[in-house]
Amino acid sequence: MSNERRLSGRQKSERLAAYAFTSPAIILLIAFLVVPMCYTLYYSLFKYHIIRPDDMRFAGLDNYAKLFHDGNFWKALKNTAYFTVIVVPVQCALALGLALLVSKRFKGVAVFRTMYFGPQLTSMVVISVLWAVLYNSNPNTGLINSVLAGLGMEPVNFLTNEKTAMNSIIFMSAWQGAGYQMMIFLAGLQGIPSSLYEASSIDGASKLKQFLYITLPSLKGTVKYVIMITMIQAMKLFTQPYVMTQGGPKNATKTMVYYIYTQGFQKGNFGYACAIAAVFFVIVVAMSLILQKFTNEE
Amino acid sequence: MKKRSPALVLALFMALSLTACGGGAEDDGAVHLTIWQPTDKEAVENWWVEKLDEWNSAHPGIQVSREAIDRSDSYAYDNKIATAVTSKQLPDILFVDGPQVSYYAANKVTIPLDAYFPDTSDFARSTIAQCTYDGQLYAISASESSVAFYYNKEMLRECGVDVEDLDARTIDNPITWSEMLDIAEKCTTGSYVGTHIVMDHGEGLPYALEPMYISNGRDYISADGTTADTYVNSAEAVETTAFLAGLIADGYANVDPITDEFLNKACATMLGGSWEVATLEASAGFDWGVTYYPVSDETGAAVSPCGDWSAAITKGCEYPDEAGQFLQWLMSTDNVATYCAAVAKPATRASAYDHESMAAYKEGPRALFVEQLQNTAVPRPRSPSYATFSADYAEAMTNILAEAASNHSVDRAYIQEEFNRVSDSFTEDYTSYYAE
Repeated sequence: MSNERRLSGRQKSERLAAYAFTSPAIILLIAFLVVPMCYTLYYSLFKYHIIRPDDMRFAGLDNYAKLFHDGNFWKALKNTAYFTVIVVPVQCALALGLALLVSKRFKGVAVFRTMYFGPQLTSMVVISVLWAVLYNSNPNTGLINSVLAGLGMEPVNFLTNEKTAMNSIIFMSAWQGAGYQMMIFLAGLQGIPSSLYEASSIDGASKLKQFLYITLPSLKGTVKYVIMITMIQAMKLFTQPYVMTQGGPKNATKTMVYYIYTQGFQKGNFGYACAIAAVFFVIVVAMSLILQKFTNEE
Repeated sequence: MKKRSPALVLALFMALSLTACGGGAEDDGAVHLTIWQPTDKEAVENWWVEKLDEWNSAHPGIQVSREAIDRSDSYAYDNKIATAVTSKQLPDILFVDGPQVSYYAANKVTIPLDAYFPDTSDFARSTIAQCTYDGQLYAISASESSVAFYYNKEMLRECGVDVEDLDARTIDNPITWSEMLDIAEKCTTGSYVGTHIVMDHGEGLPYALEPMYISNGRDYISADGTTADTYVNSAEAVETTAFLAGLIADGYANVDPITDEFLNKACATMLGGSWEVATLEASAGFDWGVTYYPVSDETGAAVSPCGDWSAAITKGCEYPDEAGQFLQWLMSTDNVATYCAAVAKPATRASAYDHESMAAYKEGPRALFVEQLQNTAVPRPRSPSYATFSADYAEAMTNILAEAASNHSVDRAYIQEEFNRVSDSFTEDYTSYYAE
């Protein structure tokens, strides 16, 4: 007897309801993720200029071969990796610190929570424009350099020096993004039973020990989730270099997504851009799986 | 029936979505034409509303609508066009920047307009040259643009510069690079820098700086538009760029200037566009002047930029004759004159200057730009690979100027390296898509 036959009317109805509820998400996922992904793979096999859609020429794996000899591709990959490796721990630590601060009950805590979450409510484009002005290299026009000049220090070319440009973007991004992760940590912190802290206090545990042996282990699931979403967000870095540095100076802030954009849209090499996107997709998926496996083993 | 309802709702939703994406039906029997153009200031937006009302009332059979698209001083508008080409959703009439005319023509995105504009003798030679590709006219422009050397008279006097001498310069006696450098050096103080050379990080860079290269003996790209090798990476180009980078390295100009740096008194002089005249007249609370584009000391050759947004008919336009008829009307002397008055740019038609709305172009700063356009304007390179060149040059210059700002010195080897890369990229693009 098949499983289908064994299903009762109620079970069949539940199964239908499940399909009905998941189908919009599945359809949208197929329409906006799976289909474009298949198209990306398909176009990556062609020499295809974006404004010559009727003149696609099959190129086999030429675009992929070109990619491995393209210094800009490796530079963009390196920059993306650097940004991710730095911003994920910095932003997560900052978010956890802020969450610990505002998890306490004191007068005006709601104001602090709103302030820390505030940057999340503003468009990244607006934030980037504002920070570009703050970072401006001239002390007469850049706020940070005017403060440095007031302290008798030399102005810093935050966004126009290859050594400082990416770090300036990292600092700004961590500041902007931490509010969102803070809210997730806050929800996690509020789920930890207060009885654990009370019992450990009676046993004489210090605040540090409480953090290390109660808070952190209890937040394990939240930390995993926050790390995963921060990593994926970090690898998609585009807006900040697009608005603030245009990938420069000397390609110091050229990221993978920005490079895909410049190749595909500014230079019109759509087939090549698709090849980069396909390789980058594999890298992101691989990184996510590795991270998931690593954190699960932990 | 109840079980089917989610699927039905979803199907209805998708059907409605598809309907929303489709083109407009022509139930009224009229031809409907759409125009894309970058968003402009309020006066220009108002001009369009008024003019389209006028056209649509007089021509019930050809109804025209316009969509203003944000350009963001970058390549955002060009990106929108590129996506529309792929999805076959281009409008009937498209405004394109002067040097992009060749790019879209070579890629068969636009069609020739010679049939609609058989006599272009009233239009400036520079604009017709910019809009011509492979011997055919592919776009038509109402307005022109140029760049010249603006100066804040109060700041210059403070710094001991002879302002009366600058005011008295003629087109035959423009300031030289060394004079520009001298002024920039004298006028760099603790409160402001001497000059401004970075118009933006997109097409503004090659547009505003090209005359420097031509004046020094070598353009970016060959005259036939087929190669940049031995042009953009020539010794002359490296020398020109070294001069510009030197202004940044010595702190006489900002590498990342704020918006409206000159208007905000953060710099004493600037290489600025003709459109700045209107802004300064309206908002500058100081005495300012403008003189001709600086020339190379070596050659003394006077060159100035030109070219502006031009209207083209797209290949997919179902009613090219009606679109051509509309463009003929749009480019009439009266419309060109009132448009240029609204956009505060010089006109392409000589007859437009007789119109009352162009009275301000008879003398003063505006007349200087007209004189410069008539005598020294050189169109940007006409090459199908210009889009690639523009992006690469802007990136290379951003790198070179950033390097100069960081090291407070000019590295000629680095300039050469960057421009070799620009040249290689141009060659790759040209040979990949256009050489045959």
